[in-house]
Amino acid sequence: MKTDGKGMSEPLLVRWLLTGIALAFLGLFLFVPLAALFTQAFEKGAGAYFAAIREPDALLAIKLTLVTAAISVPLNLVFGVAAAWAIAKFRFPGKSLLITLIDLPFSVSPVVSGLIYVLLFGLQGWLGPWLDAHDIKILFAVPGIVLATIFVTFPFIARELIPLMQAQGNDEEEAAMVLGATGLQIFFQVTLPNIKWGLIYGVILCNARAMGEFGAVSVVSGHIRGVTNTIPLHVEILYNEYNYAAAFAVASLLALLALVTLVAKSLVEWKLKASG
Amino acid sequence: MSIEIRSVSKKFSAFNALSDVSLTVPSGELVALLGPSGSGKTTLLRIIAGLESPDQGSILFDGEEATNRQVRERQVGFVFQHYALFRHMTVFDNVAFGLNVRPRKFRPSKADIQEKVHGLLKLVQLDNLAGRYPAQLSGGQRQRVALARALAVEPQVLLLDEPFGALDAKVRLELRRWLRRLHDEIHVTSVFVTHDQDEALEVADRVVVMNAGRIEQVGTPEEVYDRPANPFVYNFLGNVNLFHGRVDKGEARIGGIAIDMPELGEADAGPAVAYVRPYDIEINRQRHSPEEIEARIRFIQGAGAVARLELERLDSLELIEAEMTRERYKELALAEGETVFLRPRNMRVFAGDYII
Repeated sequence: MKTDGKGMSEPLLVRWLLTGIALAFLGLFLFVPLAALFTQAFEKGAGAYFAAIREPDALLAIKLTLVTAAISVPLNLVFGVAAAWAIAKFRFPGKSLLITLIDLPFSVSPVVSGLIYVLLFGLQGWLGPWLDAHDIKILFAVPGIVLATIFVTFPFIARELIPLMQAQGNDEEEAAMVLGATGLQIFFQVTLPNIKWGLIYGVILCNARAMGEFGAVSVVSGHIRGVTNTIPLHVEILYNEYNYAAAFAVASLLALLALVTLVAKSLVEWKLKASG
Repeated sequence: MSIEIRSVSKKFSAFNALSDVSLTVPSGELVALLGPSGSGKTTLLRIIAGLESPDQGSILFDGEEATNRQVRERQVGFVFQHYALFRHMTVFDNVAFGLNVRPRKFRPSKADIQEKVHGLLKLVQLDNLAGRYPAQLSGGQRQRVALARALAVEPQVLLLDEPFGALDAKVRLELRRWLRRLHDEIHVTSVFVTHDQDEALEVADRVVVMNAGRIEQVGTPEEVYDRPANPFVYNFLGNVNLFHGRVDKGEARIGGIAIDMPELGEADAGPAVAYVRPYDIEINRQRHSPEEIEARIRFIQGAGAVARLELERLDSLELIEAEMTRERYKELALAEGETVFLRPRNMRVFAGDYII
């Protein structure tokens, strides 16, 4: 049966109308703001744009964002693969609880996630006095930001891998085991190549969120300029100081990251389809 | 290598997959585990491979305790039902995998691996496809790659889980004959699981009939087919007709027919069931003796070497299946709707009211 036959398709007008609405919506809410962002950023010329980015506080914010991502993404990579492996390949008590816990950061507002850390590590919190006595700074310092970011970005990789690994089943691993492969050989030569593209996809999403996270990080950072500011926080500060051009210039970095992420994501999606 | 299974039991939560199963597979034999789904045959195979561990009982390889031996130290070759080929590796790499993962000390040289893999691919007639990926192969080809991969590590035991289950009828037939020939060539002790009685009877040296986690009968294909140990085996192996009757005083009465059953004592009075294969139902146009059963022909399938008839008893309205050679069918010139007289031969009577 042909699905593109006359009887199966909508009238031309309806198709045009639906496509038109979708494109108009996309233009209004995506491209116009994006264009506005870059226009604003370059409002005072390219010189002011690069000055805003090269300013020491901005550079420190960029550096902190990169450091945060560089710590949290690999950690979540290890955690995500381990959790997905455990959930997809083994039967154990408490499995559904673990799946629910992995989803928790998705279902909780990032601000609440941040507050959890304040409750834990704050001076009035559970561990606060002990940390203070031992002169360990977590809240309003880099460790707090990293912890909050890890928490918020925790589900991305595991969530991407679990359905993939469940669909692939255990057969290939069992086959490798019978053929005499060790656990490590099975993981690196059989499991990892099979989940490679799904894993990369998860890492891209995780990284984008780690660099762009605002809510949770905002609560734990304390907004100390040049010390605990990430790019999103730095943008907020500049904006609140009516320094629009600089705010938009720094914000454009995040927008660029988003664009790069989108391109990378489409490439990987295409690869996933090709290899699946 | 011989395999000995000693009173193995296995439970999956509340489900008894295997209950006290014992079996010996002599070295070099090709054995079929035959049974309906859920009979425990795959579980038994996986326990032999070490992919599952028994709750009770033990496994011995060549008389040596192997119950707790690691899967990768068991030297078994396992062919999975859905092949389980490594999808991101070529056919060559799939077959070479078992050799490549060996510790450096025991790993053959690159050239040796090349030679070995190509030799195996020749054996399974796939040497020209070494560079292909599993996704580019047909089902039958994948199955042969899986077999070559399992053989590459020179296993002491070859285990096959429903090896032809996912293939279409023609390829199935070809491949199982090929497996039989291959076994005659390499003589590795082999166990394969199947739910297809024809497959088991045609390929195996010995057939193990399983049901509900137990072994019902072990024997050569002729033994299990001609002398089924119990009603289950009778039913499972081929079509069969049931005749209900009674046993009393060492004699079974099935309809008008009396059969001596000296093995039953005086005490065994009660219901009995007689089993008769369709080809053991003799059909006549005239009544020769009062024992014969009167039946009407409901349906005839006359195409092929064997004519199949569906008949309805006039007394009890029960359906009976019968088969006869083409010549006999032509000679009798039977037509649907006619009334004929049946005479069951080679009845096999089991005491008790066995219900399927």
